[in-house]
Amino acid sequence: MATLVMIKAMFKRYAIELRRYYFNTLSMLVSFYLIFILLFYGVQSLANGGQQFGDALNGMVVGFMVFYLTVYSYAELSWVLVGEASQGTLEQLSMSPLGFGRVLLARIFAALVYRIVIMFLLLLLMMWTTGRWMAFDLWTLIPLLLFTMASVQGVGFVMGGLALVFKQIQASLGILQFVFVALIAAPIERFPALKFLPLSWGTRLIGDSMINGTHIWQVAPADLAVVGVTGVGYFAAGFFVFKYFEVVARDRGLLGHY
Amino acid sequence: MPAPVVRVDQLTKVYRTRRERVTAVDRVSFEVQPGEVLGLLGPNGAGKTTTIKSLCTLVRPTSGEIEIGGVNVRAHPYRALKRIAAVLEGNRNIYWRLSPRENMEFFSGLQGIPTRTVRPRIDQLLERFRLVDKANVSARKLSRGMQQKLAVACALIKGTEILLLDEPTLGLDVETSYELRGALKAMARDHQRTILLSTHDMNVVQDVCDRVIVIHEGRVVTDDRVTNLLHMFRARAYRFILEGRLEDRACHRLERSFEMLELHHTDHRTEIEVELLDSAALYKMMDVLRESGAIIESIDRQDPNLEEIFLAIVRGNN
Repeated sequence: MATLVMIKAMFKRYAIELRRYYFNTLSMLVSFYLIFILLFYGVQSLANGGQQFGDALNGMVVGFMVFYLTVYSYAELSWVLVGEASQGTLEQLSMSPLGFGRVLLARIFAALVYRIVIMFLLLLLMMWTTGRWMAFDLWTLIPLLLFTMASVQGVGFVMGGLALVFKQIQASLGILQFVFVALIAAPIERFPALKFLPLSWGTRLIGDSMINGTHIWQVAPADLAVVGVTGVGYFAAGFFVFKYFEVVARDRGLLGHY
Repeated sequence: MPAPVVRVDQLTKVYRTRRERVTAVDRVSFEVQPGEVLGLLGPNGAGKTTTIKSLCTLVRPTSGEIEIGGVNVRAHPYRALKRIAAVLEGNRNIYWRLSPRENMEFFSGLQGIPTRTVRPRIDQLLERFRLVDKANVSARKLSRGMQQKLAVACALIKGTEILLLDEPTLGLDVETSYELRGALKAMARDHQRTILLSTHDMNVVQDVCDRVIVIHEGRVVTDDRVTNLLHMFRARAYRFILEGRLEDRACHRLERSFEMLELHHTDHRTEIEVELLDSAALYKMMDVLRESGAIIESIDRQDPNLEEIFLAIVRGNN
């Protein structure tokens, strides 16, 4: 019960901040949309409008959508920690009797839910603009997105732990973006082992659902299991690393420094 | 005597870097009784903040034990945190984009307390801290004093029995500091809150605290009731002003017999500041002066403020 109250408080605060920082929220949406449009029409003109590139364009829409969520998922925690530390509220979060880890989980869960909603709205706008309507089965997409983003969040926890101790990690966060682009486009067909890395296999299944209309019950259980196991596995491992850095930060008296 | 609500036993915190080893807190021990207001006093870097942060689990002690309400902080941090609220950085413990009401709702939620159950308390706190008119204004638009009061209100909304405050009046103007002190006193008196605060502001300690612990270089150098400290120093120090210059023989006799704090003379007058431990010493002093033929112009008992006491204790320790 107490945890639910705390989660609700996080959702409410996040909504208030999105509203109060409306310019920031709006400019983020507009910039993502414009980048997408430029990419889309750029690729289309290179392909001379040929229909054979249809699947590639659809794949780009899916890839871009997953990339949007990924960037926010892995960096969100680091931003939250540095932001809260600089405004002097991180220590308050870490003093919750419900546990620092649980509070941060609630915070990033709230952020992820809002981002998924925003992403779906962006997606509708992209499909409307480009005239390429894809399958939109929420029962398939939501669980796949949650597990795929869970694996990304595992990396996010590691980065968050580093931010807690070392504070300035923007350079590493920037470089990681490129790693995630590579993971989204990983050549799984040639190297099947790559599906066990974060993001890659989940992105493929999401693309399959949106482009080919595959429903979750049509996906092979073993394929679903890979998404589930990598999601939970990376998430748990990342959280464990984060808890280690939290102990280091408390030991060195770094919580709240920025 | 009731069981202490806070018990710190041999608390030690050593920060290690590659090059050095800094002992921030060195075997500090004390207890706080329920409803007591305890001040931690000390110069910069004395170890006050590290002590407070160790109490609220933000810093992991190197050794020693802390119990909050009988709960060992190291073994059960979350259970201990249920009983603690803290304000650590003045006006920086609140969300500047949220209004005072939204801030208090969020911080009660962080404690797992639903908004609907704290609404009446939020209204009370807004009224107590004179923030009613600003209840729905972004905190960033408030004055520093108001933000600081809001930070304390956000800690109080959690309804914990123990309140930890690190420099609560730092940077406040006289009026706001006075108002905040009044609110803290009322909290301790009317709601039986136990308050532990660190401060440089002697007025805060003198005005709000029942007891004071002076920390210097990581160690407790004094632990006593504020009234005892004031009384002890007040009872000791006297200032005599004599007409004319006191003869040298009498001066030597005084210096041999008493703890002279100051002896200053010109051709026209002599000023003596002396520590007299009891009435007998005062009479003896009067005898020496009478025998030397001195004419007493005035005698004042010195009423040092806590700042002077603090300096005397710290210098004495050195």
